[in-house]
Amino acid sequence: MSSSASAQRWACANLKMKALRIVVAGLVIAALGGCASYAPPQAWEKQYLALPAMQFDADKLDAKNIQHVYFSKEGSAGGYGVGGGGCGCN
Amino acid sequence: MAATRGPRPGALLAAALTLPGVVPQAVAQSVPDTGYIQFKYLDYRDWQPGARRMRVENPGLFVLKPLSESLVIEGSLVYDGMSGASPLYFNALSGASGEGVTDYRTAGDVRLTKYFDRFSIGVGVAYSHERDYISRAGSIEVRTWTADKNRTYAFGFAGSADRISADEGAVQGERKNVLDFLFGITQVLSPTSIVQSNITYSRGHGYFTDPYKLLDNRPDHRRILAWLTRYNEHFPSRDGTLQLAYRYIDDSFGADSNMLEVAWVQPLPHGWSVRPSLRYYTQKSAFFYFGPPVGSGLRPGEPYTADTRLSAFGAWTPGILVAKQLDDGWSVDLKLEYYEQRGSWRLGGDGSEGLLPFSARWIQVGVTKTF
Amino acid sequence: MRTARIVFAGKSHIPPFVGIRLDDRQWPRHNANVMKTLVSIALFAGWLGAAPAWAVAAGEAAPSLALPNAAGQEVALAKMRGGVVYVDFWASWCGPCKRSFPWMNEMARKYGAQGLTIVAVNVDKKREDADRFLKLLPAEFTVVFDPVGTTPAAWQVKSMPSSYLVDAEGKVVLVENGFKDERKADVEQRIRAALGMR
Repeated sequence: MSSSASAQRWACANLKMKALRIVVAGLVIAALGGCASYAPPQAWEKQYLALPAMQFDADKLDAKNIQHVYFSKEGSAGGYGVGGGGCGCN
Repeated sequence: MAATRGPRPGALLAAALTLPGVVPQAVAQSVPDTGYIQFKYLDYRDWQPGARRMRVENPGLFVLKPLSESLVIEGSLVYDGMSGASPLYFNALSGASGEGVTDYRTAGDVRLTKYFDRFSIGVGVAYSHERDYISRAGSIEVRTWTADKNRTYAFGFAGSADRISADEGAVQGERKNVLDFLFGITQVLSPTSIVQSNITYSRGHGYFTDPYKLLDNRPDHRRILAWLTRYNEHFPSRDGTLQLAYRYIDDSFGADSNMLEVAWVQPLPHGWSVRPSLRYYTQKSAFFYFGPPVGSGLRPGEPYTADTRLSAFGAWTPGILVAKQLDDGWSVDLKLEYYEQRGSWRLGGDGSEGLLPFSARWIQVGVTKTF
Repeated sequence: MRTARIVFAGKSHIPPFVGIRLDDRQWPRHNANVMKTLVSIALFAGWLGAAPAWAVAAGEAAPSLALPNAAGQEVALAKMRGGVVYVDFWASWCGPCKRSFPWMNEMARKYGAQGLTIVAVNVDKKREDADRFLKLLPAEFTVVFDPVGTTPAAWQVKSMPSSYLVDAEGKVVLVENGFKDERKADVEQRIRAALGMR
């Protein structure tokens, strides 16, 4: 493959990754801004936040198991918390 | 007036815990006031076209117990029983007859969290033991929140010290030390939505190579920056909850990745609930990964790997979780997920070539009891 | 080079943070760091909680309360002048509320005859959630319902549960945020004091 063609392919892939990141960032922002308006609730309005489905760490053992599976089968992992220790399954 | 006294308070309390939707921890920074014990069993199998690979049986136990109104202890114990074949390089499986190896892993961790009026401090230790790999880790997490509890800041720090000694004495007494830092913000946006964004920075030094892979020689340091954002929104009209997660990872190995996960929790009559989910993951290859044939791109003294986990690929995980709330604080759940990883599924194309698709499926059953 | 000095008591002081010797290249970065620190401190102070100008605190007159009970009859705080009232805001989804109900039942039994009235205001949006809770933890005191939320807003409820002890003159004498076992004895003592017992 000639160097200019491979350079072109690299530049194209790089651009696609940048575009992907912008699109996803946009989706996240839209979800934040569009779906729900910013109106932090009062203490007596928090009933839905009490639901297990609304918690981020409701099922810790499930999260531990699933993250361990992905850690052993994918190249990069993390972001959920710190301090789980390692394993030989890198 | 004994005659007018009602049922024993303990019995009423226990009965009250069966109220659906009452979770031991109302919102993250409230002190959990009920404990629970949970047992889960994960059965994992993976394969590639024409060959079965690993089988893992993973029972695990988790307990959370408030020791007082401001002190909570939680801990878990898991056991991994692994058997089967894993690749020596690319898709070439290990073992003369392809039967592979058997291994086990035991791991446990304990965390103690003390809650104050506007902040909490948690300290944890973790230990993991395999035939050839021992890991010890400690962590500390400080959370602080605003007076109206709508915003929480989390600061985490952890360190782990691992020791690797592979079979046959080829690798003895190697070490790997990792420091992790976490900064996260959780913001309640409205009565029905909440968002959390965490940045994790991980710095590791030591032995990263996989001693069971051919010609594997990885750099002796790794820096990972992970940015995870999660968003939950409840829709009272449908009684359902949408869960979204997006994570970007910048990795010094070069295996940068993007992950997007979406799920919907739908309660059904009689205490049932169902949660379909879909996850997409896409990864760049490590800078020292070279495609087939094995050894191409290998230069003396330079890092090298033919491990498909560091290749460029995309992966999908469709899944479903079914749960049922029973009486007296008991509940059961069943999760089923299917995973497939292919070079051609990498976002933007440019996935690694010459590799077979990798597939896996896992089933997890769980039983939980609040007390 | 610029340094700042503060003259105090005849001597010239260079406060450690302000008087720094930097060359011209370093000043813009230094200024930016100072700005960042100041902004962070300001934000930090901000969220630490600027208290509202007027709060429902001990010593203030109790806000109004007029809500229907389970039978639909109106219960009004204004009609309870002359007696001690314990107002509690609760919800079916609030964990500590499960422990507060047995205790409030005990208080109603012990001091009901002495002039204590307990009014528990439910803030659930759906009545059936409250009813389910009450079936498991029956109340021996008055329960009223406010699904709209105007009453907790008027009482500036800051946590769930929240309780307020109102004396015979209609003044709030105690505000409790949350329900903690370690506070039970003290709150009971305050109830007795308000009832003129001891």
